[in-house]
Amino acid sequence: MKRTLKTYTLQVVSGLFLLLAACTSEFEEMNIDPNNPTQISPALLLPFAIQTTADRYWGHSTRYERLNIDAAMCWVQHLSRNIYINAEGDNYEIPLTIASSTWQRMYNDALINFEKILELSAPDAPYANPNYEAVGLIMKSFAFAYLTDVFGPIPYSDALKGTAETAINAPAYDGMETIYAGMLADLALANEKIRIGRDAISGDILFQGDMLRWKKFANSLALRLANRQRAQAPAASEAILKKIFSDPASYPVFTSQEDFAQLHHVDVIGSRNKMFDVFSTRSDWNISSTLIDALLQYEDERITIFAEPLADGSYRGLPNGLTDAAANEIDASRIGLYYMRPEAPSILMTSTEVRFIRAEAALAGILSEDPEALFAEAIASSFAQYGLEMPVDYPSRLGALSMESLMTQKWISLFGQGVEAWTEMRRTGLPKLPPPHPDATFVNEGVLPTRIEYPVSEYSLNRSNLDGGISKLGGPDTMRTPLWWSK
Amino acid sequence: MYNNDYFRNNYKLNTSYKFTDNLQVTVSAEYVKSGSDNRRFTSSSDFIWAHRHTDYNKLKDWRSYYAIQRETFRPGDDYPYANWQHEYFSNPFFLQDVYTNANDKDRLLGNIALNYKISEHFSVMLRSGTDFWSDTRRDVTGVEFTKNNVKRFGSYRETVISSQETNSDVILTFDKDLSSSLSLRVQGGAINRVNNFKRNSVLVGELTIDGLYNLGNFASPVVPSSMIRQQVVNSVFGAATIGINNALFIDVTGRNDWSSTLPVQANSFFYPSVAVSAVLTDMFDFNTRILSFAKVRASIAQVGNDADPYMLNQVYRAQGLWAGTTPMYSESNAIANRNLKPEITTGKEVGLDLRFLQGRIGVDLTYYHQSTVNQILAVSISNASGYASQTLNAGQITNQGVEIMLSGTPVALPNGFSWETQLNFARNRNQVVALAEGLDNYILGVQNSLTSEARVGQPYGTLYGRRYQRSPDGQIIYRNGLPQLDEGTHAIGNIQPDWIGGFSNTFRYKRLALSTLIDVKMGGDIFDVGTGLARKTGQLAETAFGREEGLIGQGVMNIGTIENPVFVPNDVIVDATTFWNNQNPRTYHEAGIFDGSFVKLREVALSYTFPKAFLGNRYIQSMRLSVVGRNLAFLHRNHPHIDPEVDMKGGNAQGFASGEMPSTRNIGFNLNVSF
Repeated sequence: MKRTLKTYTLQVVSGLFLLLAACTSEFEEMNIDPNNPTQISPALLLPFAIQTTADRYWGHSTRYERLNIDAAMCWVQHLSRNIYINAEGDNYEIPLTIASSTWQRMYNDALINFEKILELSAPDAPYANPNYEAVGLIMKSFAFAYLTDVFGPIPYSDALKGTAETAINAPAYDGMETIYAGMLADLALANEKIRIGRDAISGDILFQGDMLRWKKFANSLALRLANRQRAQAPAASEAILKKIFSDPASYPVFTSQEDFAQLHHVDVIGSRNKMFDVFSTRSDWNISSTLIDALLQYEDERITIFAEPLADGSYRGLPNGLTDAAANEIDASRIGLYYMRPEAPSILMTSTEVRFIRAEAALAGILSEDPEALFAEAIASSFAQYGLEMPVDYPSRLGALSMESLMTQKWISLFGQGVEAWTEMRRTGLPKLPPPHPDATFVNEGVLPTRIEYPVSEYSLNRSNLDGGISKLGGPDTMRTPLWWSK
Repeated sequence: MYNNDYFRNNYKLNTSYKFTDNLQVTVSAEYVKSGSDNRRFTSSSDFIWAHRHTDYNKLKDWRSYYAIQRETFRPGDDYPYANWQHEYFSNPFFLQDVYTNANDKDRLLGNIALNYKISEHFSVMLRSGTDFWSDTRRDVTGVEFTKNNVKRFGSYRETVISSQETNSDVILTFDKDLSSSLSLRVQGGAINRVNNFKRNSVLVGELTIDGLYNLGNFASPVVPSSMIRQQVVNSVFGAATIGINNALFIDVTGRNDWSSTLPVQANSFFYPSVAVSAVLTDMFDFNTRILSFAKVRASIAQVGNDADPYMLNQVYRAQGLWAGTTPMYSESNAIANRNLKPEITTGKEVGLDLRFLQGRIGVDLTYYHQSTVNQILAVSISNASGYASQTLNAGQITNQGVEIMLSGTPVALPNGFSWETQLNFARNRNQVVALAEGLDNYILGVQNSLTSEARVGQPYGTLYGRRYQRSPDGQIIYRNGLPQLDEGTHAIGNIQPDWIGGFSNTFRYKRLALSTLIDVKMGGDIFDVGTGLARKTGQLAETAFGREEGLIGQGVMNIGTIENPVFVPNDVIVDATTFWNNQNPRTYHEAGIFDGSFVKLREVALSYTFPKAFLGNRYIQSMRLSVVGRNLAFLHRNHPHIDPEVDMKGGNAQGFASGEMPSTRNIGFNLNVSF
């Protein structure tokens, strides 16, 4: 009896094993993700990465994450806050999430996708195409420039390697000098790689596949970066400025409004201009009195674009850094209807900026061209951007050409591109901001932020490399340690 | 709760039929229909942002005031409801009226089991059961309004979820007393578990006709999404229990699983267990008048676990359409792991159960130590890697603790009065012993950049964030009357309680019973953004002080230099708004750290059991009426405002709060009737 039972049990159990073995053969197939692809073309990665970059650079709509609108645009005194002045940026105190979200979204939504595009389009990769490579290099440089100009030293050479052959999940920081050299080399390489009229790309929501405009963007961005690092790396920077400005056939740059690196928005949820999304839902901002006063002083018609008149038709700005109560007493102009259009473009770089760089290079004696004429062209280009015409006598209202008058005009022309305006103000110290309003209080020891602090996540997750980064920064991780190009 | 409901109906059938003396078939089925027109109150954070002067009766009766208030809307604005202001705060009653979360759920459970007795000691059971449900949810996320001359449309999301889990198993059992002192029970079998899950969701971002919640009613492209999950686990197992003299028991088990979610070369994992328990008083026959029962138990048990589906391959994720025309994808923020291994937890436990004076006093002690090797975790990594998290097999994570239970019946009188009491104490400690090459920190939760972390070798659940600068003697350093922040982040709290406990008492007298339960949690910090923000906004009583004349923060200020500080008491007056803003926990994390200790009167219940005579018929077996009160009172807490028993995020991310609805006290009646 016992033996039969045992045999029977054995049979049943071994039968079960066979049954299970048969089932498990389908396991591998069953565990293939039916929701998400594992293979993809660069054309599908490009639009999201471009959109994220433009979004973070120009606007961004999530509260406590708006580096441009709440921090930079207020710090350069284009905008001022009329409420929550002391907690959301205007008085130099920013929510920690501005740093953490800018950091995370730029690395995780923008840069990693540009890196993947480079991987997928490399010469021996499945989507080999030098034009995708060039686009990846240019956008990666734009995004890294944005991050390093905001934070200082950041992971660059070691970054974006989380899934690389030799994976790095805690990347080391590079100094800004290294990062700038890397970006300028990448932009030069992109200019070389671009092939116009062949190797078409798609998914290009910035230039609709027009590779000449990408080429112009590569060189224009190289001008921006070379000009920025001019004080620290004069020889290399001057060589780049001269090379690009003197050979437009090999190094075309933005020359007209049609060239602009700007993202065109449409009136569809998620694809609207983020300034529209922000300014149409809340009324927490006015135009800063610093900008309004400057525009009124020069009788500058661009005021009609940047600002809305008050009920009596006049313009009035709101001083920065007031208490909420004091701000509440002042009836000030709000941002112009131009920016309240869902279709208003997000601007990454303009031909106006290229002209200002050229005028600055001429003024510095790097180019033997007429700085006054170049300066006037730059201002005229800024007016034209808004469909306005610069009055003939406008340059004469500005006094003698100097770095101060040039940077003041560049500051006005960068309205909307708050981070770029802030970076240029940090680089040159110009234009000088007026003394604070008597009722204003600024934290950060009253110092215009020189940078923003590293995200708290780096303290938790990448501490030893962060410490290396802070030592490369050359000062404590505060908003008062100056960055490399401003020293 | 205003405009909030829920219903559930159960229909259940259980039937069993004996075909022969040896063959029995049991079939059960249950159908559950549940649903709601509005499942919950979606918090408007009233306790943070509402003004003190807000008249909630008027807000509730907003329809009566709408026409009047509409006249006062700013030019270019129009809202479909009355509110005390429209920029910063929405009328919570309107939200609850219109922003509804409805659902409609059908659930079917079915089970069929076949028992066949092969011989006196040997039987086989074949069983299959399934749990299927389908849930349709409709969440209103927006209504039409106009602000700054811009018209916003209504919006809603419709989601259909279906889920099915089917378990089929076969179990052979051999059960025999081998001799008068030796009993044996052996089981062996196999299990097949299949899980299928699907969620389809459509967001209508702009409705053509406001208030008409139909997927066809869209004014711009809708956003559909879909998620499918499928998973199969096959197992074989064996178990044996040996009983010696009915006093010493030995349990041995072994089980092997094959899971579809793991890499093929690593999808099989075996986990055994051994448990021994001995009733010492019986084995050695020393049961005395004082010590009436003594039992020791010890066990070592392993449990294996697989991963969630689809964690092995790096994927790209859909990001919708740009401009309604261009499809967008992006690299997933999580790093997949094609070399994932099963996780194995080894638990060791020893326990002692002593009873004295014929069971009038009892003591139960337990010590446990669990160690999980290869735990499958998505660990946060530096974003600069290009990714936010990495799926890995964590080196080793332990969890150990003690539990002590004292029970007793101090009073048991012949007249029927008795008092039973029970005291519980437990202390548990988690620790990350090793994570992975190059990684030494597991982030449990994040709020406003404050993190709850389990660093390797450090206490689990330490809160890292911004803290105030303090003088050597620990006082907050003020500058210009305001507290200053230290650079970087620091440990400013820990979520783990020192201990938790309970104290329950039951008093009986004849047919009456009164029971009470007190719950205790001692220690453990919470990061409560809500209370800090409500101070910043001036909602809380303590912010009234100094509102007119300003106030002086308690601490010191440095009148020396940074290198050679000289600290004197702070004497700088600042206005209250500025002062409380520097307690804003979004930036000043330390201001949001509160002690989470509490002692609560959790439950008091009074019940009466009706006498048989009263029931007076043969259909009703018993009847009991009780009054039960839950969450009745705080006997102690250190938090000045909220119930510190909050859990904003769930899971590992314990210890966070941000303006949650307060916990509720409730009193109810229960009538239990058995037929």
